[in-house]
Amino acid sequence: MTRLNLVLLIAVVVSAMYLVHSQYETRRLFVEHEKTLKEAAQLEIALERLTVEQRAQATPLRVARLARDQLQMRNPAPGITQYVTRPGFVREASQ
Amino acid sequence: MRSRSVQLSSSPLLTSKTPVWRSQLIVATIALAFAALAVRAAYVQVIDNAFFKRQGEVRFARTLELPANRGRILDRNGLLLATSVPAPSIWANPEDMERDPEKLRQLARLLGVLPADLEKKLANEDKTFVWLKRQLDESVAKEILALDIKGVYTIKEYKRLYPEGEAAAHVVGFTNVEDVGQEGMELVFQKQLAGRSGSRRVIKDRLGRVVEDIGEAVLPVDGVDLQLSIDNKVQFFAYQKLRDAVLEHKAKAGSVVVLDAQTGEVLALANYPSYSPDKRVNLSGEQLRNRALTDTFEPGSTMKPLVISQALEKGIVRPESRIETAPGRLTISGSTISDAHPQGTLTVSEVIQKSSNIGTVKIAMQMQPKDMWEIFTQVGFGQKPQIPFPGVVSGKLRPYKTWRPIEQATMSYGYGLSTSLFQLARSYTVFSHDGEVIPASLMKIENPSVTSGARVISAEHALAVRKMLNLAAGPGGTAPKAQTVGYSVGGKTGTAHKQEGKGYAGKKYRGFFVGLAPIERPRIIVAVMIDEPSNGRYFGGDVAAPVFSETVQQTLRLMGVQPDMSVKPQTAVQAVEESF
Repeated sequence: MTRLNLVLLIAVVVSAMYLVHSQYETRRLFVEHEKTLKEAAQLEIALERLTVEQRAQATPLRVARLARDQLQMRNPAPGITQYVTRPGFVREASQ
Repeated sequence: MRSRSVQLSSSPLLTSKTPVWRSQLIVATIALAFAALAVRAAYVQVIDNAFFKRQGEVRFARTLELPANRGRILDRNGLLLATSVPAPSIWANPEDMERDPEKLRQLARLLGVLPADLEKKLANEDKTFVWLKRQLDESVAKEILALDIKGVYTIKEYKRLYPEGEAAAHVVGFTNVEDVGQEGMELVFQKQLAGRSGSRRVIKDRLGRVVEDIGEAVLPVDGVDLQLSIDNKVQFFAYQKLRDAVLEHKAKAGSVVVLDAQTGEVLALANYPSYSPDKRVNLSGEQLRNRALTDTFEPGSTMKPLVISQALEKGIVRPESRIETAPGRLTISGSTISDAHPQGTLTVSEVIQKSSNIGTVKIAMQMQPKDMWEIFTQVGFGQKPQIPFPGVVSGKLRPYKTWRPIEQATMSYGYGLSTSLFQLARSYTVFSHDGEVIPASLMKIENPSVTSGARVISAEHALAVRKMLNLAAGPGGTAPKAQTVGYSVGGKTGTAHKQEGKGYAGKKYRGFFVGLAPIERPRIIVAVMIDEPSNGRYFGGDVAAPVFSETVQQTLRLMGVQPDMSVKPQTAVQAVEESF
């Protein structure tokens, strides 16, 4: 009888310890998960911010100015454009 | 010194006998106290535990709001027109704020305010909440938090960014500091863009870290992205050309509308003066007004093609019918109508080409007022355009039963009714879409091939009018400046005296132009209006037609439309020279 009690006592203590441990693990993993989610959100925000920045850097005004001033380009006029028609390609306009 | 010491063992107190009831009393008292504690513990933990549970929860459970992201606004190609980025706001609690002068000075520097101004904000120590600055850059907010001043906090907020700036400002609109749409599409689609915020309940530890979820979280529903029909490049070019023209002609304002001639989608809609939606300071009503939709004016000669098309439809005239316009004056019930340049006998086509008032009136007076009213109504005058936009106006078109003959005459060349530039542009879809007027749309149309409208005139007559419009924009017409390189264009100029009060303002005009290109199979309609040009010239053909020409040239190139007129190749000549 005493022996059984002893075994049960040990079992209870072990399971209690394990409970504490798993509770601790839960919290630790939860916090880690939280952190990762936050990081993901932050990266998403950074992406959005960079996209905006890219758009701001690529506005037609800036592109046109850079092309004109730095690269000495000019707008294509029909006079300097060779138009080709892709065979078998139905243009939207000729539907 | 003499001491009087007593031996402890011989203390008289020990010798006296203690009564038994004393110790029993003490034991009983302690037992009773324990029993009381047990009862109280049972009461607190088992019987009436709700209060304490609640109090406990208040101390560690928190409800976190999960804000929904505001939807983005995109152009037809998916490029950003408006998007949200986080911009933390800084607030302080003056009641229990740390007031280290050195730290406050640094704080003022980071906030970009004078230390004195900051002091003033924090002066009232009875307050518990003061905004220090809203919507800062995230990096600055981090630096402020790094100062670690007690009583200074941040709140996560969002800021709206508009990469296209002032070019698209009137269409896209803007939000206020609370992220609520105030103008334009931001206002119209506020509900869809805003989404619905969610919430979750969590347990926080002593340091404010989230350690556990309680129950199910209510997930936020993000706002939907809005895809407009605007093409950001077309929008930009149109705005740029318009701005140049307004400045060149020292005009008060101007508007331009570009429509896809086959689908009715709005490719560009711009006004000048405009504003930068990111930095809105000292905005005036002049800048905010979306003139293309909210300002009406008498459309003048741009009405003539509509009247003529109805006359063709009713079989009153044919394009080659001859109309006598000499001597350039015509009297109807006591009022005299005249042409700027008296012409002789003109064909109907030439009436449009030369923009003859007499010719138009002579044709119009053979029509029933009802027929004229019908064409005006069918193409949308006197009705609000079916597009969602704040402050859209309907213009003015009186019922035909109240028309007097002279009014019917003046209306045939565009006086006595009013329209917005947007309505004017849309009305010309009747010519571009082979006689069907199609609804305009600010949203991208996913399946453009199914666009169909209400038939107003026959396809044959629509083409006939397009050819007349082509003549008007050609040599000998009223707007040769509307021509482009490679693309055939057609359009009608208009110049209207501005109305002020009941009469016409002496020297104030509006010059406008509405046209389409290419003639055979139109792809775009462009309408341009310049308000009060005051640099000498004010005719629509001089001030508005060049904007039309440049906008058409750029837009058709961007759309990849092949020129329909022969163009003298410029590179080939050079290439030949170089190869020798």
